[in-house]
Amino acid sequence: MFDRAKFWRYARYTILTVALLAAGFTLYLDIRVRSEFEGRRFALPARIYARPLELHAGLRIAQIDVVRELQEAGYGQGPREGDPGWFANDNDWLEVAVRPFVFWDGLQPAKRVRVAFEGGAVKAVQDAEGRDLPLARLEPLAIGGIYPANNEDRVLVRLSEVPKHLVQALVANEDRNFYAHHARAALSFLRLKGLQGGSTLTQQLVKNFFLTPERTLSRKITELFMAVLLEIHYDKDEILETYLNEIYLGQDRDRAIHGVGLASLYYFGKTVEHLTLAESALLVGMVKGPTFYDPFRNPERALERRNLVLRETKDRGFATMEEYSKARAADLGVNQKAAMGTSPHPAFLDLVHRQLRRDYDEADLRSEGLRVFTTLAPRVQAAAERALERKIAQFDRGKIFGEPGLEGAVVVTDTQSGEVQALVGGRDVRFRGFNRALDAGRPVGSLLKPAIYLTALAEPSRYTLVTPIDDGPFVWKSRGAPDWELRTALAQSYNAATARLGTDIGVEKVLATIKRLGIEREMQPYASTLLGAVDLSPLEVAQMYQTIASGGFRTPLRAIREVTTQDGRPLKRYALAVEQAFPPEPMYLITAAMQGVVREGTGRSLSNWLPPETAVAGKTGTTTEQRDAWFAGFSGDRLGIVWIGYDDNRAARLTGAAAALPVWGEMMAALAPEPLALPKPDGCRSRRARRPRSALPARRPWASRSKE
Amino acid sequence: MRTLLALLAIAIAGCATVREPEPGGPTPAPAPLPEPAARTENLAIAGLLDGARADAAAGRLANAAASLERALRIEPRNPRLWQELARVRLKQGDYAQAESTAARSNSWAGSDNALRAENWRLIAHAREARGDAEGAKGALEAAERQK
Repeated sequence: MFDRAKFWRYARYTILTVALLAAGFTLYLDIRVRSEFEGRRFALPARIYARPLELHAGLRIAQIDVVRELQEAGYGQGPREGDPGWFANDNDWLEVAVRPFVFWDGLQPAKRVRVAFEGGAVKAVQDAEGRDLPLARLEPLAIGGIYPANNEDRVLVRLSEVPKHLVQALVANEDRNFYAHHARAALSFLRLKGLQGGSTLTQQLVKNFFLTPERTLSRKITELFMAVLLEIHYDKDEILETYLNEIYLGQDRDRAIHGVGLASLYYFGKTVEHLTLAESALLVGMVKGPTFYDPFRNPERALERRNLVLRETKDRGFATMEEYSKARAADLGVNQKAAMGTSPHPAFLDLVHRQLRRDYDEADLRSEGLRVFTTLAPRVQAAAERALERKIAQFDRGKIFGEPGLEGAVVVTDTQSGEVQALVGGRDVRFRGFNRALDAGRPVGSLLKPAIYLTALAEPSRYTLVTPIDDGPFVWKSRGAPDWELRTALAQSYNAATARLGTDIGVEKVLATIKRLGIEREMQPYASTLLGAVDLSPLEVAQMYQTIASGGFRTPLRAIREVTTQDGRPLKRYALAVEQAFPPEPMYLITAAMQGVVREGTGRSLSNWLPPETAVAGKTGTTTEQRDAWFAGFSGDRLGIVWIGYDDNRAARLTGAAAALPVWGEMMAALAPEPLALPKPDGCRSRRARRPRSALPARRPWASRSKE
Repeated sequence: MRTLLALLAIAIAGCATVREPEPGGPTPAPAPLPEPAARTENLAIAGLLDGARADAAAGRLANAAASLERALRIEPRNPRLWQELARVRLKQGDYAQAESTAARSNSWAGSDNALRAENWRLIAHAREARGDAEGAKGALEAAERQK
């Protein structure tokens, strides 16, 4: 029997439950919308910069190198009215409208700089009025970032910075009623538009912000609810500003370009407030499909789309006929430059990231928008990458090595400051992966020898550069073989002489020297250690040679100079630190002996790349079966370490002199190195010595084999 | 062997280097010695140095050090810049760095005895501040010897 009362009771319960559920759901959405929108702070990547180029009279740099760096920073050629970020040049001068930039030591406003060049150097630096400037610091190149999830990159902008015509073009094309629909209107509006497929700006924002990209009815309903809630709680400008910062506008390799702030830098090399109507229309056109309308890859399609946007903007009364025709006539205006992705120099970024992790949380690095000023010198990095890529390609052609191919790593530092100027982690310089410069511990072979000779030379009462060293076979007494001078034994990298010298001084003493040179790894106190049966990474080798290159002053290698917050507040400075690890006399001698390696020893083929006046010091290294080829050397201004070998330890059949040295030579030659000149310490005296004829290497065919 | 021994006898005292007649091949011209420690002609350096001194006087020591490091990137062998940096480190209370930075200045000081003496006085200050009275005394004596 039908029980009316019971039915109504159940019906009431059901209605009540549904209403409660609906209310609960709305409340849940409301809380979510409000908390996420209000608490919404875009995760901003830590932004990594190269060292800024500082131009001053006398600086040795060619105009083309400055121009190249400006282009990479997105500077356009030819003057632009009222809008910095361009350069103009002639044969012997260059004018730059430098963009404003916040450095560690504060804001450097926009400025005009004129630079005169002469003979591969800067002759004068002047301001726009022709007054001499002591120093002009250019904007540093952005060389990547440490990105939040999905590698989203963005530069936040305020609505007030965004040109009106961009907003108008956006509203005209994406959501004509944006300013008209209020929350209540939105309810009826979403019936019309929302369910028909089109989306209001608010809905697009909700979709990007809170939801996954699935296409179900329930998701659609949730989206509509949230859009309404958003419009109830927030005014149009807040929603619009967030939209402009959120919107996805393209892909640069693995980096996602979000927001109009970054998009205007990425596509046009200018800050958002300087966008023209035509440029704004191009960005607005891309909202529909950043890949489909990619102006780099599909310029014609992008142009067509832009013109459509312009017409719509005019038809909606946001642009006059005159503005419209002018914008329509403009070309795309995009700055074609090499794709960068999350970084063009992943190996260097990796080093920066590791140094940062000592002082910062990973989460902060990926979200707080820290600005990190590094020591990377783009010109040096380019030279290192080029030399390694070219030489390895040559070796691959010349020999059948099989897969996978020969690998390599390069580290370049400043001899005086210990700043890492370049780092290459493998033959594919853009590859983010195994970083051989940091993580490949490889036997160093003869690269340890300078430490042995240095230990000897630190005892002037026993050893000088011309002290004879017995190079007879190590195990039995040599049969009166004439000895080598100490410097020759190093120059020719004689193993027996070196081992004998090392054991004479004492292995422990040599290990102590290695430690003082800056190697922290523990080493076994065996004679074989002296002959390089020790695994070190190229970066560790660089640290060790750095101490020699800076005359006995140990300087920790640094990749970072300063870190600031997103708005430029200084957080931390990584100061130059030196520590005298050796007195000047033995350092002077060991450097002279290493100059001998290059002048007349195993490194003499460097004369193919560098004139003898450069007087660089260096050391070759080759390990058993020629598995590893090394060259370590320094000029007055730069120290370079090169390693070549196979990841799987196959015999490369290449010596340090044949494989690593050419990379070093080609790289350094491209950088016009400063000659190496050491001040002679008080305790050292030069004596004219006559070398015994018998000591000339060519006359001693029976001498023990050189092992590089 | 006898020649060698004779040679050894000459070279044995202190640390001798050898300027030998080259056995064929071109003799490289000796590389120019680093700039003398005289006052700098470089406008950029002068500007940065002035800025650093002003910053140091006003107690903005980190900024002073940053400017000096900028200057050192331009002229890494300028002993005056190293000395100025040592002075800033001393003010920052970083005595170990003050001492080694002054020693770095000494390594580029050439024949500038006045500069060396000043570096030794800086070292003496740093050692004294660290409570190393003996070392400070030695440094002051070294400063005296530079006259």
